[in-house]
Formats: sequence, C-alpha cells, structure tokens
Amino acid sequence: MSDYKKPLPQVEPYTQAFWDGTKNGKLLVQTCSDCNARIFFPRKQCPECWSTNLGWMEASGKATVYSYSVTYEGVEAVFKDDLPIVLAWVDLPEGIRMQTNIVECDSDSVHIGQDVEVVFKAVTDDITLPYFRPVA
Amino acid sequence: MSLAIVGIAEVPTKRDPERTRWDMLTEVCIGAIRDAGIGKDDIEAVISVNPMAQPQMALDMALGRVPEVLGLKGCKDICVLNAGGTSTTNCLRLAKYFIENKQAKFVLVPHTTVQSDIPTEDLINFFATAPLDMQWEYPYGVTFNGAMGLITNRYMHDTGATAEQMASVTVSLRAWGALDPNSIFHGKPVTLEDVLGSRMISTPLHAKECNFLADGAGAMVVTSHEVAQELGKPAAYELGHGVRFTGATPVLRDDPYFHRAYRESSQDALAEADLGIDDMDLRQIYGAYPFTQCSALEGYGACAVGEAAGIWADGRCGPGGDLPCTTMGDATGRGHTGSGVSMAFYLDTVRQLRGEAGERQVKNCHHAIVTTSGGSVMNAATTVFGSEPR
Ligand SMILES: [Zn+2]
Repeated sequence: MSDYKKPLPQVEPYTQAFWDGTKNGKLLVQTCSDCNARIFFPRKQCPECWSTNLGWMEASGKATVYSYSVTYEGVEAVFKDDLPIVLAWVDLPEGIRMQTNIVECDSDSVHIGQDVEVVFKAVTDDITLPYFRPVA
Repeated sequence: MSLAIVGIAEVPTKRDPERTRWDMLTEVCIGAIRDAGIGKDDIEAVISVNPMAQPQMALDMALGRVPEVLGLKGCKDICVLNAGGTSTTNCLRLAKYFIENKQAKFVLVPHTTVQSDIPTEDLINFFATAPLDMQWEYPYGVTFNGAMGLITNRYMHDTGATAEQMASVTVSLRAWGALDPNSIFHGKPVTLEDVLGSRMISTPLHAKECNFLADGAGAMVVTSHEVAQELGKPAAYELGHGVRFTGATPVLRDDPYFHRAYRESSQDALAEADLGIDDMDLRQIYGAYPFTQCSALEGYGACAVGEAAGIWADGRCGPGGDLPCTTMGDATGRGHTGSGVSMAFYLDTVRQLRGEAGERQVKNCHHAIVTTSGGSVMNAATTVFGSEPR
C-alpha cells in the first residue's frame, strides 16, 4: 500500500474523525448539535450557524447517483492506469451530496438515479477512501 | 456608474512559442493606447489580469514592471487581480473605482498568456488541481473536464437536451470562430459529425467540446462616459452590472448549472441599464463548456428552461441566426488563453458595438449582454454594454 502514487486527501485537524471513520469501515456525516445541519464537507465550524458544537453520525452507506461522468482521458499520469474513471456525485439519505467514484461496475451502465452503496478501499496505512458501487 | 472602453488591441489566439509574454504584452498595450487616440503618459493606472499558471509573469505584473517597460510616466499605481476567468471583470470594476474617484482619467487593462512553452503534464496538473478541493475531489481523479461532464450530464437529464443538440452548440461556436481572424480556429469550422465523432474525454463531453489551450494577449483602455464622448470615437459604454457567486466546489452547489446565477446577475445588470433581455442585440456567454451557452440563455430569460439546446440546434445562435450568441466563440470555439478568455470576450463585444466585427458583425448591434465566470463557474458576472451612453 505504501507505493500508492495518487493524491491523498489533505486532512485537516477537524476532518481527522471522518478519515478515522473510513479506516474503521464507517462513513461519517458531520452534524451540528445546535441547528441540526448535516454538513459536507466537514468544517471547523458549522457553515449554517458557526456553531462549534459539532458531532458525527454514521451513514447507512446507501446513496443515489445525482450525476456522473466517465473520464477516458486528460488525467494526470498517476491516474492513467485507472481509466476509465467513473466520477459521480451521490446523494446520501442522511442529507449530504459527495464527490466519489463508482467502482466494481460496467462504466456504461452507470446512470442518474442509480442505487449505490459505499465500499471502502484502504490506499495507505492511514487513508481509506470511500467509493460507491451499484447495489447488487 | 460610467465606464467606457475606448481602446482595444489583441494578439490573435494561437500556439506560438516563438512569441514571449512581454513581446505580446508590449504590442497590445501600445496598440490599445494608440487605438484610444491618447498618449502613453495619459494612462494613470495599470490594472493587469493575472496570468494563470505563469508565476513569474504574475509576479512581474504584481510588482510594477508593466508601466516601467512601457514608459508610462503618468502612472500613479498598479495592481494585478486574480479571479480566474473573471479576472478581467474585476480589473474593470477596480478601474471604475479609480475613474469615478478621479484618481485616474484613463486606465490600462492588459493580459498576456503563453501556454505553449509549458509542458503538457504540468498544464494537466494545473488545470486538474486549480479549481479542485484537495481533500474531497482531487483524490478521485476529478479534472476540469470531468467536473464539467458531471454538470453537463445533470443539465441534460433535467432539461431533456440531447447529445446532438449539445454538439450543435460547438458547431455554432466554431462557425463564429471560423470567421474570426483572432480565433485559433479561423477558417476551421466543424460539423455535427466531427464533434460527435471526436474522442470521448469525460462523458458527455467529446474532445471538440473541451478546451484547446493556447497563447494570446489583449488590452483595453477605459475611461468615463464623459471622456469617451469627448474623444468622439465609437466606444463600448457600460450600462449595468450584476454578479452572483455559486460556490467553489461543483458538488456542493445548490444551483448546479447556474440558472439562478445567470438570472439574478442579468436582472441586476439589466435593471441598472433600464433595459430588458429582449433589448439585447448580442449575448456573449463565457462558460468554456457548451452547456453554459444553453443554461445562460435560459437563466437570462431569453427562452424557457429546456428550450435553449433546441434553439442552438436550429442554428439561431450562430452566424446568420436571429438570436446571435457568443460571436467571440467561447473558449471551445476560439482557443483557451487561461484568464485571457474574458479579456477576449470584452474585446469582441467592443468590436461588435463599434461595428468592426467583419464577417461576424451582428446587424444594428447597439446593446450586448456579457457574462464571464471564474474557476469552474464559481460566479456569473454579467455586464450590459451599449454603443451610446445612457
Ligand atoms: Zn449549525
């Protein structure tokens, strides 16, 4: 895993819990205890009310494709072995929309409205990225 | 509000590593000042467009080399502004401040960019990372094209626009470019089959619907409405302006294809100008990707939501059409000079309002609406120009 060459997320102190979660097989959604906002991406302070009284809820892992784009070229060299890459925006029932990749699928079959579920891939000892795959 | 563009010059968009940034910059600055019919020492401020991915040139401009190289003895101050594709718009806004506060009678706004001497892999890296969030987007292989593919697919899903209709946007943009000696695609129109048959980059965007990076330079001299009238030459008079921010990260926006930003920014600009969208003779839309040409028309209220792609497909926005749009060609139809695309949009608008657009001239062009955007359309900055002051 240490030979992972692709860019790793640049973790901030206040997002560490998210990445600790994925490492432990949990997809966490940041929540605001004062205004009940569901927050993505995680912040130091709630973007709705600036509260620092923030927490985390574990997501179900289910999601729906809001949009997608299958990339065939034009990526940096470190991504070339992964082509085609299915970029996707997925809506979680917990109330957030995330950027991800749809994996373990025929790229031609991905479509808006498709049901997908989270799948975790440990890419280094510290970082596990959340991807999504079609629900079987 | 009283800004007028009274002098312009441009180095045509092309890939020409023989020409340096300073070589082109000097030519357009002198050209714009001569076009305005004033002397070099009449320029009292230089507000430069930040050149993207060219850190040395950006620093040279930021630290005052432009007036020194040109010998602008009357220059009181300089500034470089960076907001990606809306950098030029910001330059005009600051110029307006200088002019309205009598700090400067004439302001020079220059841009220069050379991308053909930058290694391709570096450009891919720059344009992959510049607009992206390093934590939540970059690890997934998102690129500029990929982000715009995501938006375009959703736009097509919601409006019912077809792949053929979307490809027709590029056909019309390239048709304008084919008639434009300032376009890298001068004399090179494309057909629907050319667009749909070009390589798929990021669905639904084919290679010809993406941007071709190029070199170019441009400059404007701006002043007040009153001084512009005293000069006694055709000019472009700013009549109204509005802007809306959409957000930095595409996935987080609640206005995913910018209908609201186009609508509200154009309403503000038109209200200030005391004009309506149907009074516009020309619509100039800088979005760098074809769906923006449709989305902006719908946001402006020039047609109903869901109609714009069909209007483009009918050829109504291209040469000879009854709803001319983006005679400048946008980045896909003209070549992408980084932050210079918005400069070229204003230059082309001035040509149209002065009746100097050659084969692309829109008949009786007295009012134009221009929208520029920065980043991955983080904002929509809309300006109404007229051939006469209010
Ligand atoms: Zn809150």
